Amino acid sequence: MIRMLLRVLGDEYARPLRRTVALMTATAVAEGLSYALLVPVLRALFGSTPGEAVPWLVAFGVAVALYAALRYFSDLSGFRVGISLLRGMYHRLGGHLARLPIGWYDARRVGQVSVLAGEGVLQAMSVIAHLLSPFIAAGVTPLTIVAVMLAFNWQMGLAALVAVPVVAAIQVWSGRSVAAADARTAERGHEATGRVIEYLQAQPVLRAGGRTHERFRLLDDSLRELQRAARRTVLSALSGAVAMTLTVQAVFTALLVLGAYLALGGGIGVAEVLAVLVLAARSADPLLSLSDIGGKVRGARAELARLDAVLRTEPLPEPREPALPGSHDLEFESVTFRHGERTVLDEVSLSVPQGQRLAVVGPSGAGKSTLLQLLARFYDVDAGAVRLGGVDVRAMSSEALMERISFVFQDVYLFDGTIEENVRLGRPDADDADVRAAATAARLDEVIERLPGGWATNVGEGGALLSGGERQRVSIARALLKDAPIVLLDEVTSALDPVNEAAVHQGIEHLMAGRTVVMVAHRMRTVRRADRIVFLDDGGIVEEGGHDELLRRDGRYAAFWNVSLNSS
Amino acid sequence: MNATESPSMTRLLRPHVPSFAAVVVLQVIGAVAGLAPLLAVVELGRTLLSPGPLDHGHVWTVVIVGAAGLFVRLLFTAASSGIGHLVDGRVQLMFRRQLAARLGRVPIGWFSRRHSGELAKVVGDDVSAVHPFIAHTPGELVSAFVVPLVSLVYLFTVDWRLTLITLVPVVLALALVPLMMTPARLREQKAFDAAMGRITSSVVEFVQGIAVVKAFGGSGRAHRRFVTAVDEFVGIFSRLVYGISGIGAGMQVALSPPFVLLVVLVGGTFLITSGGLAPADLLPFLLLGLGLTAPVAALGHGFDEMQAAGRAVGRIKDVLAVPSLREPAHPVTPRGHRVELRDVRFGYDDDHEVLRGIDLVLEPGTVTAVVGPSGGGKSTLVQLLPRFFDPSHGSVLLGGVDLRELGSRDLYRTVSFVFQDVRLLRASVTDNIALAVPHADPDDVVRAARMANIHERVLELPRGYDTVIGEDVKLSGGEAQRISLARALLADAPVLVLDEATSFADPHTEQAVRQALARLAGERTILVIAHRLETVADADTVVLLEDGVIVERGAPAELLERGGRFAAFWQSHRSPQGDEL
Repeated sequence: MIRMLLRVLGDEYARPLRRTVALMTATAVAEGLSYALLVPVLRALFGSTPGEAVPWLVAFGVAVALYAALRYFSDLSGFRVGISLLRGMYHRLGGHLARLPIGWYDARRVGQVSVLAGEGVLQAMSVIAHLLSPFIAAGVTPLTIVAVMLAFNWQMGLAALVAVPVVAAIQVWSGRSVAAADARTAERGHEATGRVIEYLQAQPVLRAGGRTHERFRLLDDSLRELQRAARRTVLSALSGAVAMTLTVQAVFTALLVLGAYLALGGGIGVAEVLAVLVLAARSADPLLSLSDIGGKVRGARAELARLDAVLRTEPLPEPREPALPGSHDLEFESVTFRHGERTVLDEVSLSVPQGQRLAVVGPSGAGKSTLLQLLARFYDVDAGAVRLGGVDVRAMSSEALMERISFVFQDVYLFDGTIEENVRLGRPDADDADVRAAATAARLDEVIERLPGGWATNVGEGGALLSGGERQRVSIARALLKDAPIVLLDEVTSALDPVNEAAVHQGIEHLMAGRTVVMVAHRMRTVRRADRIVFLDDGGIVEEGGHDELLRRDGRYAAFWNVSLNSS
Repeated sequence: MNATESPSMTRLLRPHVPSFAAVVVLQVIGAVAGLAPLLAVVELGRTLLSPGPLDHGHVWTVVIVGAAGLFVRLLFTAASSGIGHLVDGRVQLMFRRQLAARLGRVPIGWFSRRHSGELAKVVGDDVSAVHPFIAHTPGELVSAFVVPLVSLVYLFTVDWRLTLITLVPVVLALALVPLMMTPARLREQKAFDAAMGRITSSVVEFVQGIAVVKAFGGSGRAHRRFVTAVDEFVGIFSRLVYGISGIGAGMQVALSPPFVLLVVLVGGTFLITSGGLAPADLLPFLLLGLGLTAPVAALGHGFDEMQAAGRAVGRIKDVLAVPSLREPAHPVTPRGHRVELRDVRFGYDDDHEVLRGIDLVLEPGTVTAVVGPSGGGKSTLVQLLPRFFDPSHGSVLLGGVDLRELGSRDLYRTVSFVFQDVRLLRASVTDNIALAVPHADPDDVVRAARMANIHERVLELPRGYDTVIGEDVKLSGGEAQRISLARALLADAPVLVLDEATSFADPHTEQAVRQALARLAGERTILVIAHRLETVADADTVVLLEDGVIVERGAPAELLERGGRFAAFWQSHRSPQGDEL
């Protein structure tokens, strides 16, 4: 557990964490040892000269003071380490998520990661602050007490000692079975969260389909599955707790019987028997809480394991000695890329000289967007190479690569903030004049004029408060402000009405001027103006050339062109 | 239950009351039985310490009673805990269903102002946080008070002076409690929850916008919102923790067994040496005295969880209390499919009206094209038909009946739509297409898919119509839109609302929409946000919407001839469109 925690966090936290654990263990031992002084105190009090108890009592007082001090410091230390781990974990997770390949993020990960990065981290880290100390105490104090018992009466000590391996075995066994059930429950929880988000976001469609909650089986199923999984967890946790209680009580009963037997036989002083029984009662309580605390620790550990799994997912490797490209020529050399089972691109080769425009057309699912994403290194190729200015993109630092590329997507995602914040994302240190100029060039200025809050208008989650065309203008302004030499356009003007399209086109023209451009498009006007066109189908280039040349060839491109003519 | 009125917590929980009662009773019996072995030790001590010959029989009876008490305790607490957790599972399921039902009825507009991450947290985490309330609190709290009470009464009968002394640690700890509940602390707790919510929503955003994060990644500045949310959260959290950790640690020490034992022994020694307390009478205090701290420990221990649960319940209540779109008490059946908008006004917020008095009639079997500049209110207008919102003034009538008087079944059987914002479910292609017609004939699904130009593409998918979208395959924007078109075609509703911008995704989609419009014209009442001039030209009526009002309407040819606003609009949009043709 601690080992996993350290692996997840890195070594810089090892020292404070070890110190805290040591402090907590010392506290638990001190508690157990202080009880040893109960025996002489009780012997005196139950004997004929109760006054002799006073010096022992003073010693006990000192031991308690020592214990109290240790306890206070170990609690504080636990809190402090817990918080610093919390911050460290959040930062690591955030940084890591940003470095994972886009391919890693599928629909279900949104729910999963949001739970994990929110409550999950907190739960995993709360172990240190809240659970570690009682957990250590519940294990170590009874052990110390058993040692104390052994010192005073070997028979009863031995009887208590027998319980140690049994308790340990039960703890391990029930831990395993609950952990398995817990993992299932957590998985169902993530699943359900994903479904809830889907359910919320799909409300318009669901309602139009008459699918209110009662009939939205997918959500209800996942909620029921969650309940079922939780029930299984409860049952397995309960059986562990019962076994633990049974063992502890059996040992206590045995000690009671043995104590009575020994006392009746006169082989041992009454004070000793009673003191040992008091000690036994003292160690029973923490042991009984062990299964309860153990459950919570396991919950945290399961969360930690999930964090560990995410953090161990390899981000795209960064080069040791990053190279810098000399130009902005783009090149694909026999690029093969697979997504799961499917080969998305199969031995694709093409090149775009600096300053030229390449248009990629083809039916849906042909791999057009993937082509762009490989250029921006959202994924790494499975074979071949993608080069920028003669340098493999894998040999460049991701920062250097991203600095050179502006990517405009079909689905614009805006961050929940003002329009200005979203535009400034392109170049945070830009001055106001540059920001205004980019907005004008993207014809975002007219949108801003119309909005009640102007530049300070909030765009809502994902930009939901703006229309598709307005969002697109924001993203173009963002790209213009970034002023990168390479521009990648992914079906930018699709799904826009003519008015927005005209505006967006103007912005795009500004954006493309003087830059190296690769665009995925079907609006034929933009395509026609490209220097070269490749027709992509089923992961390969079917045709390649200028617009007129391809039309003359009367092949796939020409057919595509005609469909699009007819539909207008 | 009236759909618009939120069910109260008590009403929701009422069916589970007998189970709660069983949990409490079993728990109390078990806990009190747990005192038996301790009392057995006390009795054993008394017998052994009493002068004179030992009564062997009595000793063994005591031992047997103690063992029996332990067994009863095991049995009853296990039963109580088992029942408690099972009830907990049922209650959580019930809460989640209630929440989902409520969220399925609130006006769509309500969502645009909320983060789906925060709402998902209410349905998920907040409901889970109720767990201690249901499964642990009733039984544990009651036994945490009953057991010490029983012990206290017993101890008083043994020696009242030592009983009072034994209570000293409890009083000390209680004195610290108010310090943990100052208004400042409670404020910090609220801030803590709010900050947690912000982390969750910034994560959702972060993950959904990951492509942007990457494209602008650089030195990690694009995920600064997440980092900011985190730092803010950690800041609040550490203030909260540091604020209470000193007091908390002090309380822990006061309640710790060594300290309690010390107090008892000091008092006991004093009373034995000077006050004539029988040594054997010290034993019950050593064994039961520790139990007196249980209520305070329970308070302190479960306090955080309880408070968190309380706040979670508050948030659940808030969501359950959101007024839903009103369902009519006596739904009226529409006569025919004539759609009529009468002086409709609507604004998303109070100070800005998007629609400012719309009068419009859609005759059955006609195509009405809405055109106009973006931001003019076109999308809002068409969204009133499937009742995503209710107009703030005026009414929308279907077959002579106000939509508000219509049962939602009737409404959705009559109106289907294809909008720009396509959301496919993580479910099979068939399920996605048959969303509105759950038990559709597979042949019909295929026919709709063919009409929507998506059939061939579906066949290419790894598992054809059983392919799970978003899991087995990711569809492109155009493909998703064709699925959504197939959905509307299958629903086969007499009124179709369509945003033609949808069709601009790719030529295939465009063709599909065009064919669908051509096929359905004359049979259906169609309202289309038109983008292609051809659609406009083919429409029976054109409506030019500008700034929330209809500025011109009529047959397209007529309007062109009139040379008014529409004619100007037509001309200005020929040009950007021009070389597409």
